[in-house]
Amino acid sequence: MEDARSIIENQIEELAERNREPEWMTEIRRKALEAFLKAPHNDPVISEEELLQFIARPEIKGLPEKIESLDDLPEDMRNLLDRLGISEVEQKYLAGMAVQTDTGIVYNQFLKEWAEKGLTVLPTEEAVRKYPDVVKSHFLRLIDASESKLAAYHTAVWNGGIFLHVREGLKVPFPLHLFFLIQESALAQAPHIIIIAEPNSEFHLIEGCTSPVLVRHSLHLDMTEAYIGDGAKARLTVLQNWPEYVHTRPMTRAKVGRNASFINTTVTLGSGKSNVANPKYTVDEGGRVELNGIILGQKDYYIDLGGEMKLIGRGASGLNASKSVIMDRSRVITRGVIEAMAPGTKGHISCDALLMSDEAEMETYPGLRSRVSEAELSHEAAIGRIREEELFYLMSRGLDEEKATQLIVKGFLAPMLKDIPAEFLVEIRKIVEMAVSGGM
Amino acid sequence: MGGTLIVEDLHSSVEGKEILRGVNLTVKPGEFHVVMGPNGSGKSTLALTIAGHPKYEVTGGRIVFKGRDVTKMPPHERAKLGIFLAFQQPHEVEGVRIMEFLQQVLAELKGMDGAEAYDLIIRTAKDMWFREEDLYRPINVGFSGGERKRLELLQAVLIKPDLLILDEPDSGVDVDSMSLISRKIEQLNEEGTSVILITHYGRILKHLEPEDIKVHVMKDGRIVMTRGGEFIDEIERRGFQDIFKDCCGGD
Ligand SMILES: Nc1ncnc2c1ncn2[C@@H]1O[C@H](COP(=O)(O)OP(=O)(O)O)[C@@H](O)[C@H]1O
Ligand SMILES: [Mg+2]
Repeated sequence: MEDARSIIENQIEELAERNREPEWMTEIRRKALEAFLKAPHNDPVISEEELLQFIARPEIKGLPEKIESLDDLPEDMRNLLDRLGISEVEQKYLAGMAVQTDTGIVYNQFLKEWAEKGLTVLPTEEAVRKYPDVVKSHFLRLIDASESKLAAYHTAVWNGGIFLHVREGLKVPFPLHLFFLIQESALAQAPHIIIIAEPNSEFHLIEGCTSPVLVRHSLHLDMTEAYIGDGAKARLTVLQNWPEYVHTRPMTRAKVGRNASFINTTVTLGSGKSNVANPKYTVDEGGRVELNGIILGQKDYYIDLGGEMKLIGRGASGLNASKSVIMDRSRVITRGVIEAMAPGTKGHISCDALLMSDEAEMETYPGLRSRVSEAELSHEAAIGRIREEELFYLMSRGLDEEKATQLIVKGFLAPMLKDIPAEFLVEIRKIVEMAVSGGM
Repeated sequence: MGGTLIVEDLHSSVEGKEILRGVNLTVKPGEFHVVMGPNGSGKSTLALTIAGHPKYEVTGGRIVFKGRDVTKMPPHERAKLGIFLAFQQPHEVEGVRIMEFLQQVLAELKGMDGAEAYDLIIRTAKDMWFREEDLYRPINVGFSGGERKRLELLQAVLIKPDLLILDEPDSGVDVDSMSLISRKIEQLNEEGTSVILITHYGRILKHLEPEDIKVHVMKDGRIVMTRGGEFIDEIERRGFQDIFKDCCGGD
């Protein structure tokens, strides 16, 4: 533990200097370090000992020092991208959309015009310098760093991430795509994302990319704090496709205002070795939150998707819906919790899973808590396999087993993918097809 | 086009229980065969065994089509060889939209590209009383019995198989759909498709001459009688129990 203290101390000083960060932020980091030493550790996969090892030796060996373009990737990764036909898509977006690099965000013309109307997208470090008051009042306000060792560690060494601010009443008509592409060092393993939707604003942020994220570390801890103002309509879609050596622990917290809505979709195509998430939301009067999870479990990966919704205002509603395709020896657990704390609230949890092998495992623990008498809470779960009759029907028309299976799996996931733009759908479908036919 | 089907002393079991107990049947290119028989006599089992359903295990004999032994061939390869079964009870396939499915089938069997297939599917479907939006529904999900049968026929018309096996295409279908379905079957047969039609009613055939039809009657997993088309009327008049007195002593 003492080793960890001095390693983290050094990292904090390094970050403070590199980011030319104001003292108040560095102070938050130092406090988080103290919290880290005392905080409980309760991860289902990573032991405390392992965590300390990750902190001491965060980098994965054998990956290139610097990944500046797709050409720097190891050959097998590049081949995978080619097979997916991703390189082209990505290139198109590199040219056309906002891309976060280690040195800043590359804007296109579109974003520049919208910046004048009140759409701010900045690297979080830059936002700390440029809008200190706004960041101060929104940084770590929805989560307590001392709640767990991982939350505290994230807070001490956070680096990277974006700050998105949408002015009151501004409706952004196109989805904002953000790619996190170049990650220079192990310190970039903990991006911090702040989303502020002012009242009555509207936007759709799509985060991440479906190609393997280029990371050199074994533990990825990202944190998202979303403030959805009264009457705002916000959508956050996160596409994850992690390399198999990474453990990922996304931490999301959102506060949804009166009559606002927040639709949070996570598409987990490559979960990494393990993926444990327990996003938490509070929803005010008349507000709505949706957590839509699409999960592809492969190999021996462990995926644990929670989701806690507190319906605090009258008439608030929450939906936690997941669809999982579970292959090989992977294990998926869903444990959504919806708590009705005001009259007239509604909550629903649904969990559908398609088991693709005898060794695949699925568990679901829906949690519904009602603190009031007038609330409607319900849940449903369906865990099954592809039926022989379905497969035979498709095969009897000339499709081989692999193609028939792919059609059924894509059909199973389709209802959850309705909000995702077409360019991504093409990639997502290809990744699903390849996974089903064992080609990943 | 063309290709002869030879079913030789076929035995087939489901869940360890023998259902087909030595079926012999030869269907030459372009021929029209009708298979009749009481419920439970093994008609559907014969159809599903020829199509290669994994539940129906062949325990003896063989199936030859176009000179190839297909007895152990997986179902999709039989389909590629030209065998098509229109099911008695077409299953629902959750989530898979008809349009996407048919486009892929036409790509697989005919090498058609997506746009070409799309046009053909829309045109053919309209001709068979489907609305365009029906094609974006998942296969058979929430379809009435009659709609399912029409969808089976739509697929047959699109694929134009060499051998079309129809398992009671007339059951659960209203009068208007019935005449559409029989017209399509006869049309395919005129264009050279061999047909095995499993049915309880001769009424389905309007334009075919009795001398162009062979009628087989099944009993307890075997074909026990084979006659000409005029036999259909006789079966309808007398019923199976009476007919069986002629061949099998009636039991
Ligand atoms: N999948 C199955 N599982 C169990 N028994 C079956 C199955 N399919 C058919 N059988 C049995 O085989 C016999 C013949 O059935 P079937 O071929 O459906 O007859 P038909 O189509 O002539 O009415 C019946 O006794 C039926 O119960
Ligand atoms: Mg039958």
